[in-house]
Amino acid sequence: MKELNTILYLIFSWIITVHAGNSFYKNGRIYLLNMLEGNASLTDTVNKLLLTGYYMINLGYVIIRLTFQEGIFTISDLLEDLSSKTGNIMIILAILHFFNLSVIYIYHRTIEHKKQIHI
Amino acid sequence: MKTSFILTAYLIYLPVAVLLTWYVARTLFNSGKIFMMDIFNGRQEIATSTNKLFEVGFYLMNLGFALLILKIGYEITSGQVMIEALSRKVGGYSIYLGIMLFMNMSLFFRGKKVSRERQRLAQMMQQKNDQRGFAE
Repeated sequence: MKELNTILYLIFSWIITVHAGNSFYKNGRIYLLNMLEGNASLTDTVNKLLLTGYYMINLGYVIIRLTFQEGIFTISDLLEDLSSKTGNIMIILAILHFFNLSVIYIYHRTIEHKKQIHI
Repeated sequence: MKTSFILTAYLIYLPVAVLLTWYVARTLFNSGKIFMMDIFNGRQEIATSTNKLFEVGFYLMNLGFALLILKIGYEITSGQVMIEALSRKVGGYSIYLGIMLFMNMSLFFRGKKVSRERQRLAQMMQQKNDQRGFAE
C-alpha cells in the first residue's frame, strides 16, 4: 500500500503541476503582454521566470510532503492520504496563481497612473 | 475484499464533487467570456486567455478544497450514517461553491465598472484635447 500511495501521489502531482503550469505559461503570456504594454522581450523573460519559480515551489512542496507518511493499510486510508496531499498542493497553487495575477495587475495600474499624471 | 461503508462514501463523494465543480465552472466561464470581451473592449485574444487563467485557478482552488475535506473522521456503521455524512459533505461543498461563484461574479462586475470608468476618462481627455486644438 505504501509504495502504491507514493507512486500514485507522484503521478497525480506531476500531472497537475505540468498541466496547470503549461496552461498558465501559454495563456499568461498574452495577459502579461497586455499588462506590460506590448514589451515582448520583457514579457518572455518575466513569463519564463514565473514558470521557473512556479516549478521550484511546487516540486519542492511535493517532495516535502512525500516524507510525511503514516501507516496506510486499506484503500480508504490511501484515498484519504492522497486526497489531503493533492488538495493541499492544488490550493497552494491556486493561491499563488491569483497572487501573481493581482501583482501583475497592480503593477500595470501603477504604470498607467504615472502616465496620467504626466499628461 | 469486501468494500466498507467508508470506501463507498468516498467513491460516491469524489465523482459528485468533480461533476459539481465542472458544472459550476462551465456555467461561470461561458458567461465569463462575454464579460471579459466587455472588459477588454472586444479584444478577443486577451479576453479568452484571461478567462482561461481564471478558469484554471477556479478549478485548482475548488477541486483542491473538495479533496481536502474528503476525509470522514468517524466510524461509519450503517447506511444511514453514511448518507448523513455524505449529505453534510456534499451540501457543505455546494454552499462553498456557491459562495465562490458569487465572488467570481462580483470580480467580473468590478472589472466591468473599472473599464467603463477608464473609457469615460479617455473620452474626456479626447474632448479636452479637441477643445485645446480649437482655442489655438
